[in-house]
Formats: sequence, structure tokens, C-alpha cells
Amino acid sequence: MVRRAALADVLGGAAAFAVLAAVPLLIGGKAAPDFVIRCAAYGLFATSLNLLVGYGGMISFGHGMFFGLGAYAFGLLMQRTALSIPAAFALTILIAAAVATVIGAICVRLKEIYFAFVTLAFQMLIHSLIISWVGLTGGDQGLRGGIPRPVFLGVDLANRIQLYLACGAALVIGLVLMHRIVASQFGYTLRMTRDNAERAGYLGVDVVRVRLIAFVLAAVFACVGGVVMSLFVSGAYPDFADWTVSGDGMFINMLGGINVFLGPMLGTVILLLLNDTVTRLTEHDGIVLGVVILFFAIGLRKGLLDFVLDRIAERRATAVASPERG
Amino acid sequence: MDLAALAACIANPGCVVTQATSGFIVGMLLFLVAAGLTLIFGVLKVINFAHGAFYMLGAYFAFALYQSSGSFALALIGGAAGSGVAALACERLLISRVYGGSVLMQLLVCYALVLILDDVVRMVWGNDFLSMGMPAQFQVPPLFVAGGVVPPFYLFLIAVALAIAVALGLALARTRLGKVVRAAAHNPQMVSALGINTGLIYGLVFALGGALAGMAGALAAPVRSLTPGMGFSILIDSFIVTVIGGMGSVAGALVGALLIGFIRAFGSVGFPLFTDGIMYMVMVAVLVTRPTGLFGRNAG
Amino acid sequence: MLELQHLCKSFGGVRATNDVSLTFADGSLSAIIGPNGAGKSTLFNLLTGALRPDSGRILLDGRDLVGLTRGAIVRRGIGRAFQVASIFPSLTVEETMRAAVAADRRRHFLLHRRFPLAETREKAESVLDMLGLADQRHRRAATLSHGDQKLLDVALALVLDPKVLLLDEPTAGMGPEERWQMIERVHDLWQRQRMTVVFIEHDMDIVFKIAPHIVVLCYGRVLAAGTPDAIRADEAVIAAYLGTAVDTDTGTATAAA
Repeated sequence: MVRRAALADVLGGAAAFAVLAAVPLLIGGKAAPDFVIRCAAYGLFATSLNLLVGYGGMISFGHGMFFGLGAYAFGLLMQRTALSIPAAFALTILIAAAVATVIGAICVRLKEIYFAFVTLAFQMLIHSLIISWVGLTGGDQGLRGGIPRPVFLGVDLANRIQLYLACGAALVIGLVLMHRIVASQFGYTLRMTRDNAERAGYLGVDVVRVRLIAFVLAAVFACVGGVVMSLFVSGAYPDFADWTVSGDGMFINMLGGINVFLGPMLGTVILLLLNDTVTRLTEHDGIVLGVVILFFAIGLRKGLLDFVLDRIAERRATAVASPERG
Repeated sequence: MDLAALAACIANPGCVVTQATSGFIVGMLLFLVAAGLTLIFGVLKVINFAHGAFYMLGAYFAFALYQSSGSFALALIGGAAGSGVAALACERLLISRVYGGSVLMQLLVCYALVLILDDVVRMVWGNDFLSMGMPAQFQVPPLFVAGGVVPPFYLFLIAVALAIAVALGLALARTRLGKVVRAAAHNPQMVSALGINTGLIYGLVFALGGALAGMAGALAAPVRSLTPGMGFSILIDSFIVTVIGGMGSVAGALVGALLIGFIRAFGSVGFPLFTDGIMYMVMVAVLVTRPTGLFGRNAG
Repeated sequence: MLELQHLCKSFGGVRATNDVSLTFADGSLSAIIGPNGAGKSTLFNLLTGALRPDSGRILLDGRDLVGLTRGAIVRRGIGRAFQVASIFPSLTVEETMRAAVAADRRRHFLLHRRFPLAETREKAESVLDMLGLADQRHRRAATLSHGDQKLLDVALALVLDPKVLLLDEPTAGMGPEERWQMIERVHDLWQRQRMTVVFIEHDMDIVFKIAPHIVVLCYGRVLAAGTPDAIRADEAVIAAYLGTAVDTDTGTATAAA
């Protein structure tokens, strides 16, 4: 049974990848593949944020720092060292994990509102470091001059199709791994600390350690999203580390739903479509997005997938209950 | 990092006076914003993520009133009042719907308000930096104290903010409304059991917080440039202030704000690239040693 | 054997626990009674490591527990259920039990093993059977009845095979009929598992009927400890707590105002 569940994830992932791989064949032009790559970057980021928010009950308003960190660390390693892409990628992940361990060790002990704002403060710190350390990061101009993409193992990321497939693969593998995590024993321990940290402590669970591990894991996947983004735009910009990335991430989660694993992925697609449409129609995208957020936060009070699934559950419950009554 | 410059500045009374004055104005502006933030948190248990937007509104209202009437006094009052009214409207119409809900919803509603208000300002006043200019009555030669330059407007700003700080402290300690507010912060059930309308108290506190932030924006308008995103950086700074001072403590907000103001003022001489870093380190140090802040009583 | 020696705990000058010395023999069933504010819950909080005593020792089989974390004390064998059922609302009954068993066996950090672990099944099942929760296994904890939520809370404590089980008002918030069902379950559990059970209870009928050993707390002090008969006859208890209206035949007592 255990093996079968893992197999289902892998098969599902393979099927999803096959669909993604068919996109450029079915739809001509650059727009569709580019959209998918952006979905991959933001989707990995938003789903990793949901590890914290949905499964861990930790509302981070600074998760975007790891997105920015991934983009900058990878871009700098490629520009300044002779590392191959896989080596730079692995080192980027290690850097993100190390930074997340330090920041997490301080933050995960804090109560929820403090946690939200102190993570936000760290995001601002990293953003201000990027802006002010001009010699390393290029300041507010960002990392310019392109990110070199030497061929590795026969893969040439300078080729548009191969880049597209690589980003699609990163998304699918990332999602499968995260799904394994939330379905693992650790995933349920994390839910326990979310539901009732005090009781979990009485069961011998080290709540701080569980939260720290979740924080670091989420940071790693967010950083992969940043790497995808930096490969896509062949650069890194301070906007990637701005607090609005975290805000968008929270919004995406809200939009899609935090109680379903693929909720944030759906949210990503909706937000990017919405963003593209709204920015084409008006300069004042802030008002439109704000109103949409208010609709979800005050009107629905939950994300789209959560809302739909709750409705289905309700209908089932009434369907079961009514014959008994009759 | 230029510690030699910092040492030279500290050895020179003129430089100390100049930097201390600038530390005071940064600190007092921060205090006005942070005092509202901390009061709102104390009473409503909501972190008003949109608080910076009321600072921004105050600055733009003051700008508009000064442009049309030429009276800075009117600009100050209008900035504070306008922001207070806007805050009251936001609280009654939107934020009050998520009381007792999840922190996630509260943060998102506030986030939406930030997006909307920033965009509204952008629509009305444009995206460019605006400058209000020094009001006519303050266009006088600066004072020289021990060789340091002190513009008279700075003294006025500090005096007004200090007067507000004292008035706020007295109002909370002495008046009936102040006592109710403090009681509401301590035990909301008790207040509603006493037959006091908590909705009214919440609305008043939120409006007061918005008005304080608006006053800060109006006071800052002559010395800062106005831009639609200006509320956010002061929100982060005032959040750091409230963490250092203790959530819910007005006295803590004053101490924390002055501390941050001085770090900013003297940091800009000695280590301009690291002033933000130092601020965060101070905050982390306080959080690790005194999680409830210097003046905090119970962890929020 | 659980032994409390000269335990003290103050909150801002109020002595919630004042020089408490008690012994709970292995396999005993004891009730703790006392008026509101007598320090009953504080005592449990001290025993489980939620609070640290100002002074005194807590010995479980001769080893001192003071200063250990909640998790460490649980692993030494002191389990606890709460006055307000402390459960995991969004998990199902079965998920709750299996996650708890895994935590007890230190398997809860496994990232690569899918939940539920096969090795946690048997233990989880046996506890659910013991408490009659097996047919509720697929329901979310939040949707259980009040009584079942309290039982699930007890089940969480039992997962850890405690030597000592502390129950903070197991019948709180229940109707009369439900109360007796609950207390029969507790009594049954005690008889079958042969563990030390200590429970806090307000209902004097229940206390005098099922507890062979009763501890009376008052203002943080131990007023008396002994058999129901000894407690009934204790002058200090009558004066301070039970009042004079003790019907010695049925054990019915009315708490004096």
C-alpha cells in the first residue's frame, strides 16, 4: 500500500509532465510556454508557502525572501564561478537551507502575528541588502548581463524548448516531492502542531524542531522557484525579493485554497491570468487585485478549491442524512 | 562601514546636534505611527498591516490642503482628520468583518487595503515624487546650536509630536474613555459585559490610530518626498518599534521609536549600508531576550 | 510509585501549591477534590512539566522529574487528559491515534515514510477498542460528540502507555448519564490496565463511590488524604469544604458555599 501511493504520485507526475511537454507542440508561439514557466516558478513558491501556512499553520509574510535568494544565489554562482548548472543548483539549495535554518531558528518560536511580521522584517533586510550591496548584486539594477547556461549532460538550457522542459520538470518533481512530504509521517506531525501545539508537546513532539524543519523545507522549494525564474529571465532583480512577492504568495494561497494540496497551483494560474489581463486593461491593477482579495477574504472566507470541496462535502452529508430522516 | 566618520561625528558637538535632531524627528514621526499601531493591536488584537497607508493618506491630504489653502495649520488638521475618517471607514466596512477570524484573513484584508489605497493615491496624485516644500512661516534661517544646524521646523515637529505623546498618555491614564480603552485591551468580555459598545470603542481606537498616522504623514510632508508606496517602509519601521517597545505599550512605542530614530540618524554617518541590518539585529536581540518587548506585559 | 515532596508554586504572591506532599501507590485510583482555586489544575501542571515548581521534588519510581520538559516527562510515564478536551480538530480519530503512536515511537520525523505507518496500526487500534472509539475512526475529531472528544483526549494519553494517568475533570461539561458512562470507562480502564490513575472531580457522588483514595486540596494545601470513610470523618474537611451535610450512608456531600 505504501509503495502504491508513491507510485501513484510518480505516475501522476509523469502524466502531468507529458501534458506540459505537449503544450508547445499544440499551441504555437512563445506565449503559452512562457506562461507555463512563470506558473512553474510561482507555483513552486506558492505551494512551498502552503507547507507553512496550510499544513503548518505558520503565516509567513517573508517567504518571498527565499524566492529572491534562490534567484540571486543561482545567478551569482553562474556568473562568478565556473560551476556547472547542476552544481550551482545544488549549492543554491544548500545556501537557502542554511539561511533558512538561521532565520527559522529565530522565527519559529514566535507567536503567529510576531512570526508573520518578523519573517517580513527579514525579507525587508534581505531586500535592503540586495539594494545596497551594489558591488555584488548590482543594486536596484539587478543582476544584468545574462546568466550563462553552459551545456550539462547534453542539456542546453539556452535552447528555448529545453529550458521549457527543464522548468516543467522542476515544477513536476518539486510538486511530487512536496506531496510526498505532506503525506508522510512528518506531514501529519506538522498538522498536529498546527491543530494543537500544546497537545503535540504532551505527546513528546518537539514542536519547535518540527516547525524549523518545515520552515527549511519550504525555503528550499521556494528557492527552486526563484532559480526557475532567474533562468527564465536570465537575471535577477530586487523585485524578486520584495515583500510583494510574499504578499502575492499569500494571495495565491487564499485564491486557490490552503486545505487542498493543489490549491496554490490553481491560485497561481488564476493570479497570473488575472494579472496579465488586468495589466493589459488598466494601469490600476492594485485596485482590481485588492477588490478580488476582499471578495475572497470577506465574501468566500476561503479559497476556491476549499470552497468547492466544502460544498461537495456538504451535499454528500445532506444526501446521506436525508434518507435517514425520510 | 566608516566607523572613523562616526567617531569624528561624535567628537564634534555640531555633528552630534545635527544628527540628534534628525534622530528626534525620525523617532517622533515613527512614534506617532507606532503609537496607533500598538493601540490598535492592544485593543482590537489586529495587526494593522494597512497602517502605513494612513500615514501616506495624511501626507497627501496635507499636500492637497496646503496647495489649495496655503495654510499649514489647516493642512495638519486636515491630514490627521482625513486619515482618521478613512481609517474609521475601513474599520467599520471591512476590517470589522474579520475580527476573531484567522490572522491570515486579517492580514489579507489589510493587504488588499494597502493595494487599493496605494492605487487610489496613484490615480489622484500620480506616480511621481511630489514635494510640498517648506511652509512659508518656517522659511527662516536655521538655528545654530553648538555649531550644529537645527531648522526651526524640526523643533516645531518635535514639539507637536511630544505634545501629542503627552496628551495621549494623559488621556489614557486619566479620562473615562482612556480607562475603557485600557480595560478593553485587557479584557474585552468584561467591557461588553459592562454594557459598553465594543464596536464603538474599536471604531474610535482605529480612527484615533489612523489620525495619529495621518498627523505623522502631514508633519512629514514638508521634509519628505511623497510617493504612493511611502507608507510601507514606515510600517515596517514602526512594527520594529512596537516589537522592541512591547505590543500594546504606548510608552514602549516612544522609547522604541527614539531608539530606532537614533540608530537611523547616527547609522547614516557611520554605516549607511547597515542601518537596516542593525535595526533588525536590535529587534532580534529584544525578541530573544524579552519576547514581549521592553515594556510588554503579556505576549500578544 | 509517584511521590510529591514539599511541592510549592506561587503566582505573584498567591500560593497556588503550598507545601504539598503526597504519595500515589502503583496501581492506585485516587480522586483529587477541592473548591475552585484549590490548586488542583496547578498540581497537574506541575506534575506534567507545564509549570516548574518553586521548590520541592516529584519522584516517579525514585527519579526526580522536576526540570524535565513536558515531552521528557511524558516519556517517563506520566500521561494527561485535559479539562477541555485537547485534541487535533482537523485529523480523523484514526489519524490522531496513529500520529500519536508514531510520535511516541519517535517515528514522527520520517519524511520518506508515508502516513500511516503500518507499525503504528496495532497500538492505535487497541487503544481505540479499549475506549470504544473504533466505530468513530473515520470521523474528524472536531465533529465528534463532546463525550467522544473527551475519550479521544484520554486515548491520546493512553497511547504512551503511561504508568500514571492524570485526568483533569473527565466528566466536565457532561450530563448526569454521560458522566456515569465516562467514569465507568475510567474505572474499567484502571482495573484492566493496572496503572496509577489520578483524577480531579467535582461530583461528590462519583468521587465517594469509585475512588478508594481521596485527596482534599484547599488553598493550595493538602487538607486531608485517605479512604472515603476517613475523608468523611475528617473534621478539617467537614469544616472547610464538605460542610456538615454529609450523608454517610450514600456518601452524598454538598459543598458548602
